[in-house]
Amino acid sequence: MTEAAETRGSAVGRVGGRKRQVFLAVGGLFWTWLLARWAYHNTLLDGLLTAVGLPDVLRSDLGVSQREPWLPADWFAGVAANLATDAGGVSVLVVDPLVWLFELAALAAESEPALAAGAFLTVYLTVLSMFFGLFIAVPAAVTRIYGGPISSRISLAYTELIRGTPLLAQLFFFYFGLPLAGFISGFRVMEVSGMPRAAAVVAIVAFTINSSAYQAEYIRAALQSVDPGQLTAARSVGLSRLQGIRHVVLPQGLRYAIPGWTNEFVYLLKYSSLAAFITVPELFRRARNIGSDTFQFTDIYLIVGLLYLALVITTAMLMNRLERRVTIPGVGMPAGRD
Amino acid sequence: MEPVALLSDWQFVVSNWRFLLLGTVVTILLTLSSLSLGFLLGFPAGAIEVYGDGWLKSAVNTVGVILRGTPIVVLIVLFFFALPIPRLGTVPVIDMQMNAFIAATLALGLRSAAYQGQVFRGSIQSIASGQMEAARSIGMTKLQAVRHVIFPQAVRRSLPGFQNEFTIVLKDTSVAFAIGLAELLTRAERLYLQPGRDTAVIEVIIVISAIYFILTFTTNRALDRLQQRYAIPGGNE
Amino acid sequence: MSLLRIENVDKSYGDEDVLHDVSFAMETQDVEVIVGPSGSGKSTLLRCVNRLTEIDSGAIYLNDEEIHSLDENELRRRVGMVFQDFSLFAHLTARGNITLGLREVLELPKEEAVAKADDYLDRVGLADQGDSYPAELSGGQQQRVGIARALAMDPDLLLFDEPTSALDPELIGDVLRVMNDLAEEGMTMLCVTHEMGFARSAASTVTFLDEGRIVERGPPEQLFENPEHDRTNAFLGELSGLH
Ligand SMILES: Nc1ncnc2c1ncn2[C@@H]1O[C@H](COP(=O)(O)OP(=O)(O)OP(=O)(O)O)[C@@H](O)[C@H]1O
Ligand SMILES: [Mg+2]
Repeated sequence: MTEAAETRGSAVGRVGGRKRQVFLAVGGLFWTWLLARWAYHNTLLDGLLTAVGLPDVLRSDLGVSQREPWLPADWFAGVAANLATDAGGVSVLVVDPLVWLFELAALAAESEPALAAGAFLTVYLTVLSMFFGLFIAVPAAVTRIYGGPISSRISLAYTELIRGTPLLAQLFFFYFGLPLAGFISGFRVMEVSGMPRAAAVVAIVAFTINSSAYQAEYIRAALQSVDPGQLTAARSVGLSRLQGIRHVVLPQGLRYAIPGWTNEFVYLLKYSSLAAFITVPELFRRARNIGSDTFQFTDIYLIVGLLYLALVITTAMLMNRLERRVTIPGVGMPAGRD
Repeated sequence: MEPVALLSDWQFVVSNWRFLLLGTVVTILLTLSSLSLGFLLGFPAGAIEVYGDGWLKSAVNTVGVILRGTPIVVLIVLFFFALPIPRLGTVPVIDMQMNAFIAATLALGLRSAAYQGQVFRGSIQSIASGQMEAARSIGMTKLQAVRHVIFPQAVRRSLPGFQNEFTIVLKDTSVAFAIGLAELLTRAERLYLQPGRDTAVIEVIIVISAIYFILTFTTNRALDRLQQRYAIPGGNE
Repeated sequence: MSLLRIENVDKSYGDEDVLHDVSFAMETQDVEVIVGPSGSGKSTLLRCVNRLTEIDSGAIYLNDEEIHSLDENELRRRVGMVFQDFSLFAHLTARGNITLGLREVLELPKEEAVAKADDYLDRVGLADQGDSYPAELSGGQQQRVGIARALAMDPDLLLFDEPTSALDPELIGDVLRVMNDLAEEGMTMLCVTHEMGFARSAASTVTFLDEGRIVERGPPEQLFENPEHDRTNAFLGELSGLH
């Protein structure tokens, strides 16, 4: 009667039925908007279209603050104002929430271009950091299990120190503590348009290191769940230890790590919001700035919360799909933490 | 100010140990209050997700998805700005604003409840259905069976998950920085923002990171002990 | 007055008929053994008697009371059950497994419950294992705790669902000995088991169930020596070939 146990703390879990349909519909709209905004202001695409004789279709020349909303913000605001003034005999209980809803819509419509830019940067930070993190995580995990007494201790210390301290403190360390930002700005490539600002690079460095420690833990647990007989079997056909790890243990173990890895992806998507505190204009930072400009803190944080939910739920659903795709029969059952 | 400015950055951090200690107290208080709230609500939430039905189960599930799917910083600022928390002033000595503390506790605690609920739900579901049937077959009511047979086993199986949750909450108290609560990280910033102390950033951050690390490390070891102590003899869970 | 009377019971899961028009009766002190191929509905029949499963139609009487007119917890207190996989409460000691029902269901005071539990542990030959946890006991010992747990509730009828089939051969004897003792003491037992030795020595009646229907029912000598139906013969032949 009970369904299979699922103990890992994934953000969303399995979604089924009508809820799933709603999530898919809303998620589809959300990503259409995000990708449309991205394409509309993309330098490269604009260059391409200009080259084929369509210079004004895309607007990559506009700074984020000059971009036009796609929804009629003024209209929403107007409705809210009208409702508020000539409420007539209608109960306050009905009118007040309505006024608020229209004000919320007006704010959302107005902030939409800036929020899209932020959401794009959020995705960008997450994807790059997860990707780079993997290149540290795999060697760290392998060293931890198969390394000598010293190298495996170093690997252990690395993962434990990173996992034992707050991400926000790590961001401060890299941004305010180390002269990393100044160092990065010194490179000439940084002046090429389209490159992220130095703060964003620092954020990617910090996120890469942070996520590498968590990814390493998932991978280590996964590698350890591979039957030790597999490595023995590999050695017995004449593979070296390293070859055995590379061709037999890793291909199996990394599959076991997928549930944990996708979990970490969603986790970082949420925690990338902390980059706001080192001035990276990602989604949360954009919202905070709009809050300071308009003093509508509650409303903008509500909107940004919904946007994060859309990002997280769609990503989690995508990751669930990915998990089911890549499992081989008999290899890789969900095992993970966090 | 003169004599202070002559100190090296490390000496500067050490001479402010009391200032950081008070921040550590706030961090610990916030961790404890959030975890307690998380446990008090997460426990029933997990049970409802398994045994509940209809709108209640669906509501718990939806609220859980929202809490788990939103970044903690958004939850903290949202609770801080949106909830009508009365201005209760500041706790002396530790310089803790009560309304920021309450907002942070609610955000961290409710989100933790959402995660602890998942842990607990998974533990309940991992208990063989024969346990429930055996309990019912000696005449226990469903409630008695859940209380005396399912829960005691589920709680034990949840301990590793709760332990994990402890570490996460402790680290995430630092996000209360966003609403200026005088916890460890906020106090660290106040230290290096003092005039002429911008060179001490690295030293301050290293020291507070060490404090966080010691807190997570020692508590984890203590909880490991506790788990061994309450493990069921011969059981591999 | 029969202790247990089953009348025209039907049970299906979806389109699958699991029990079809099953009827029989047991008197006090009877030991009824049910045999039949896998999937024939033996477990389902037992579970209908203590309402772990609900029947679709028909009626079941315990001491002339229809079991659906009883409170289900009261019914289960009066009908004990022993499981194939033992299902001991994993977090409780052998003694704790027995006292839990005594304390929570019968509401006995603690000392009395403990004394009673130790008494039943002694009866199944485990007087010295009261403080052991299930995972520290062998399968045969666990099953005997399972029997003691059911007995301690002082039931009118005990149900056994293949109590020895999960055990290593050398551990089966201890459990069968306890069951034989119970039969001799006059416990009313309804047992699904393929232990032919037990059926011959202890059973008052053997029932052969196939595809949810009672094919044949009678005293063990008759069923084993002169079965009326070929199916019974074939099945019993296969069984004895296995053992
Ligand atoms: N809860 C259930 N839901 C659906 N079908 C069930 C359920 N329980 C049993 N069945 C089906 O009912 C039929 C009879 O099952 P039952 O467990 O009573 O057989 P059995 O005679 O005890 O077999 P075995 O010797 O294997 O224990 C089987 O086909 C089984 O698949
Ligand atoms: Mg069966």
